[in-house]
Amino acid sequence: MSIEPVADPELLGRMRLGDESALEALYVRYGGLVYTLARRIVGDPELAREVVQDTFLRSWDGRDTYDPERGRVPWWLMGIARNRAIDLLRSRSHQARLRERAAPPPEISTTHARDPADTVVARRTVLDALRELSDGQRRAIELAYYGGLTQTEIANELGEPLGTIKSRTREAMERLRKVLGPLIQSAGGRTS
Amino acid sequence: MTDSSEHIVDELAAYALGALETGEHARVDEHVATCASCASRLAEYRRLAGALPLALAPITPPSDLWDAIRSEARQRRPRVRMRSAIGTRWLRVAPWVAAAAVAAWLVTWNVRLQSELAQYAQGPQVEKLARRPARLVILSGAAQSQASARIFAAVDGQSGHMAISGLPRLAAERVYQLWFLPKAGPPLTAATFTVDVDGRAWVVIKVPADLDDTRSLIVTEEAAPGNRAPTGPSLLEAREWR
Repeated sequence: MSIEPVADPELLGRMRLGDESALEALYVRYGGLVYTLARRIVGDPELAREVVQDTFLRSWDGRDTYDPERGRVPWWLMGIARNRAIDLLRSRSHQARLRERAAPPPEISTTHARDPADTVVARRTVLDALRELSDGQRRAIELAYYGGLTQTEIANELGEPLGTIKSRTREAMERLRKVLGPLIQSAGGRTS
Repeated sequence: MTDSSEHIVDELAAYALGALETGEHARVDEHVATCASCASRLAEYRRLAGALPLALAPITPPSDLWDAIRSEARQRRPRVRMRSAIGTRWLRVAPWVAAAAVAAWLVTWNVRLQSELAQYAQGPQVEKLARRPARLVILSGAAQSQASARIFAAVDGQSGHMAISGLPRLAAERVYQLWFLPKAGPPLTAATFTVDVDGRAWVVIKVPADLDDTRSLIVTEEAAPGNRAPTGPSLLEAREWR
């Protein structure tokens, strides 16, 4: 690791100019995170591989462009990956989708060997914040974000009133916002 | 923030998590377009959603995944690189005027050029002026279709001038930045500048690379006082000579 690593937005700038080494640097930094997210959503390793490949290629050829307003570069990448993974999930059979819904909740995270130091800190902060949510709040968020379910579908899945799911989701996001506010506002993106 | 009951916070949370019901997106989009408070909150929720996967237990990707991405990436060049062939051809075919130049003459030329460009920021008059011991490069709008620029690089290969028109004015903390993209190596900055109320500017530039070794030139918008490498989209790019 260099003493002064190149900032993520600079890597994206170099990628736009065709610098393959910048794409590789971005992959080394965040390929693991994106793959982890893809596996969590689609389950199947081959489909997850497809999601990662498509995510980095979209950032490479300009089909998706970085908006600092959306936060840090890795979170932008994960936004692309999440959408691609959900698209894949929705295109699969209903049976496969049900299997994904039954995916186990996130385990306690351990440090990844390639994680940049600030990602390690962010990882711990997010994990702590999620632990402060109630089980119901956490479940509602997971079914939405990782399961690709709408709020009505979540209500049906959990056998709860739609209004309960809506308020539970909002309360969870508000709680996360309060706890993670400093983290997301130090993302290099404006918050207002 | 004002009383959240006046707003649509439930829908914002669902929107950011991708859980909004089909057909509700338009309503939320319409609301946030006119409600700064909800637009700000939605942006925060989206950043939160992007950070959620950090809590997952890491899984190491397959060892050959990078090779597959690299292989495919080589088939899909980024837009600027795809245009580099055009830029190179353009640089080669531009009607250079081969003539010996002396520094004093160049100074005279530069003064005259600057003076006349104040009247003719673009058009054939400027190109006529450019038939001097120098090289002319035209940049046209990539993301800014109404914008254009002309660069006159002196034959000493180190200095030049650029006339720009059609770019929007920027906020105080933003600047435009001109880049030389060498055939090999990192991008080189040639100037940072802002434009006047008419969207025009006259800029003395540093020419950091031989034009023969340059595959393209671009102008981007950057945070002041400028960046080490382009981070904004390409607003102007070198195009083929006409």
